[in-house]
Amino acid sequence: MPLGRVTDPCRVSMANADSSGANHPDTPPTGLLSRYVFSADHKTIGLNYLWLALFSVFLGMAVSLLLRVHLAWPGVRLSFLSSLGNLPDRFAALTTLHGSLMVFLVLTAAPQAGFGNYFLPLQIGAREMAFPKLNLLAFWLTAVSLFGMTTTFFFSPQPAITLWIVSVAIFCAASLLNALNFSVTTIDLRAQGMTLPRLPLTVWAWFINAILGALIFSILLAACVCLLSDRLMGTHFFPVVNFVSTQPAGAVANAVPVLWRRLFWFFAQAEVYVALLPCFGLTTHLISTFSRKPVWKQRLVVLALCGVGLFGFCVWGQHMFSSGMNPSSPLVFSLLASSLGLPATILVISWLATLWNARIQLNTAMLFALGFISLFLSGGLSGIFLTRHNLAAAAAVSDDFVTGHFHLVMGVAATFAVLGALFFWFPKLFGRRLNEPLGKLHFWLTFAGVYCVFMPMHWLGLIAHSRVSAGGDLTSIALPGSSIHTFITVAILLTVFAQGLFLINFLWSLFRGEKVMEWNPWRATTLEWSVSTPPPADDFGATAPVVYRGAYEFSVPDAAEDFVPQHLAPEQVVKARKAGE
Amino acid sequence: MPGTTAIPEIEVIVKDIGGGGGGPTPPPGGGDDGDGSGDDRNRRRRWSPSPKRYSTAITIGIVSILMFFMALASAFIVLRRSSDLWVTVHLPRILWANTCVLLASSFTLESARQRLYLADASGFRKFWLMTTVLGFLFVAGQLVAWRQLVAQGVYIASNQASSFFYIFTGAHAVHLLGGVGALLFVGFRKFEKTKISLPAAAEITSYYWHFMDGLWIFLLALLYLGK
Repeated sequence: MPLGRVTDPCRVSMANADSSGANHPDTPPTGLLSRYVFSADHKTIGLNYLWLALFSVFLGMAVSLLLRVHLAWPGVRLSFLSSLGNLPDRFAALTTLHGSLMVFLVLTAAPQAGFGNYFLPLQIGAREMAFPKLNLLAFWLTAVSLFGMTTTFFFSPQPAITLWIVSVAIFCAASLLNALNFSVTTIDLRAQGMTLPRLPLTVWAWFINAILGALIFSILLAACVCLLSDRLMGTHFFPVVNFVSTQPAGAVANAVPVLWRRLFWFFAQAEVYVALLPCFGLTTHLISTFSRKPVWKQRLVVLALCGVGLFGFCVWGQHMFSSGMNPSSPLVFSLLASSLGLPATILVISWLATLWNARIQLNTAMLFALGFISLFLSGGLSGIFLTRHNLAAAAAVSDDFVTGHFHLVMGVAATFAVLGALFFWFPKLFGRRLNEPLGKLHFWLTFAGVYCVFMPMHWLGLIAHSRVSAGGDLTSIALPGSSIHTFITVAILLTVFAQGLFLINFLWSLFRGEKVMEWNPWRATTLEWSVSTPPPADDFGATAPVVYRGAYEFSVPDAAEDFVPQHLAPEQVVKARKAGE
Repeated sequence: MPGTTAIPEIEVIVKDIGGGGGGPTPPPGGGDDGDGSGDDRNRRRRWSPSPKRYSTAITIGIVSILMFFMALASAFIVLRRSSDLWVTVHLPRILWANTCVLLASSFTLESARQRLYLADASGFRKFWLMTTVLGFLFVAGQLVAWRQLVAQGVYIASNQASSFFYIFTGAHAVHLLGGVGALLFVGFRKFEKTKISLPAAAEITSYYWHFMDGLWIFLLALLYLGK
């Protein structure tokens, strides 16, 4: 056992690391398995997450299509589903499958684990994540959990539910490992000069999100452990009787163990922000880059991101207004939930102020970022109604309003941000561009489609509300098979068709798209554009990058170019001006 | 294309500043504008991740584990207050002995680190081994406590209090066994080939071990006061 006289642990291990060399080979390993399946390289893992998300999003979309077809044309029989027997169960199983795939494997995995793994080290000037092997383990746990969630559909309800809970618990473990890796990488592996104020906002968002994830996924894991123990070992952590005894008589029909709801929503409400936080970062990044302007009030935006994380952690009760909590607590949660409007407003104002008077480059990535703002605003506005505890209690009777609200703000808005990021980073990922005209067509069809799908859902929820309050005769149009359901379903069919355009664009561009030889085709400032396209196996090569400035130095008055990359030393900027003259 | 002009310049710059200003560690928050002067020795220094990452990771891991147990503890408190099914579980006496064993292990761990600081290799080895044995002893003691409860006919599904007893002790033991694994790793690993030094590994293990210790005191207090 080596026992040196040196007592500073950091210094000793630094020397060890230097003498033995980092364990990252400079040449990529050959062989299919070691290059793609068991590679601990952050870029490979990030891409693998994106492939998982791509698979899940199309599967989830297909499932939602089946659900909507059933609501619009209840008489239609699909032989594949009929053969599985017991159709009401299958409908519920489809709903669960759609929700789990979209929330866990798409909204949680793609913006954070996918793009985050690929670009977080590149943007902060590190060559690897802090713990590459943990990262690999987290990816494979996620893949196992995807497999588990998908196969639940083919089992009978009781074993399927147990399998689903196990899959969710595995996903929690994977997310915790991810959160650990992301936060440690951001704290300790930043390149020289990459101070906190100089971090790109994408990195800030990933970082805050990782902290939030480290806190909330533990809660869901604990809840899953208790639930599994209830199901497998006969314990009574979540007894229904416990709920009934403290309830007003009117709400008993809806009996769900209140303790489970608390633990679940403590996770799930924050999960909304886990999905959205990286998207805020991505959108801010895209808007600044394609407006050629610095982010307006960058530090305030960072504070707002922290605020979203903090408030998002405190508002779980707003899902339980109708569950018979302490009578004064709905008001508290209502106020807390409303105060989320403050950071959200700061973000929106910053985006609009950045866009103000800018020379906007309206490419597909920028269109998707703008689409994100639109959807976030629309969904956020309907959210204001839901923070009113008396209104939300009424809306809980029919959750179409809630469904419309969270699909707009969480599902579709986040997907738009992810698509924007994909169009933005595709040249760096694959050395080719996605087709712009096809991308714009895809954007406009999707943009119109999602509004046609989710706005009528708000309307449906309000109709259901009027049924409760006034007993009106509007109820007939809210029944399955009515015209409004048919309209939504047709709109979904068209939207899904538009996603076919995206798939064609994606696959075609992957192999035949316009080649990008430049390192920095968008003329962006962050470090990932300072390496070749696609990035080499060892990212920055033998030398560590040094950072000299903030992440959004666009249209700097003295410089000839309208952007100054982060790694450009001050004396080099002067040279750039002379070259321009 | 306007963007292309920047690229050759960038390459020049990378060569110019490569590794320049390289302090001992890539400092988080270090380096100001134009901080380009530094050791030429480090010019071709290989990139290596900061060794501080281990202690940061254990801190975040501890917070995460704490949230896990807080979720369970809040469930305990909520059910304790509102449940109609609550039947008190009498804690086996051996738990108090186990607690002493665990507390003692924290002291031996600190003694071991003290010896390490004084470059006393055999003393370190002795106390470290003692800590590991005490860790195993604690887990064995918990198993005995389980056996005693089972002998009384108290199983995990008997009532909510017993469920919480088994879940708390079980989850804590699983986490503690992770700590024992770390103790074994530090005790038997040859540190010439690892990326972390022995004192750093011992320090990080000690954070986790003391946390496990404190967590157990908290859980025991919860179980005792919640009787």
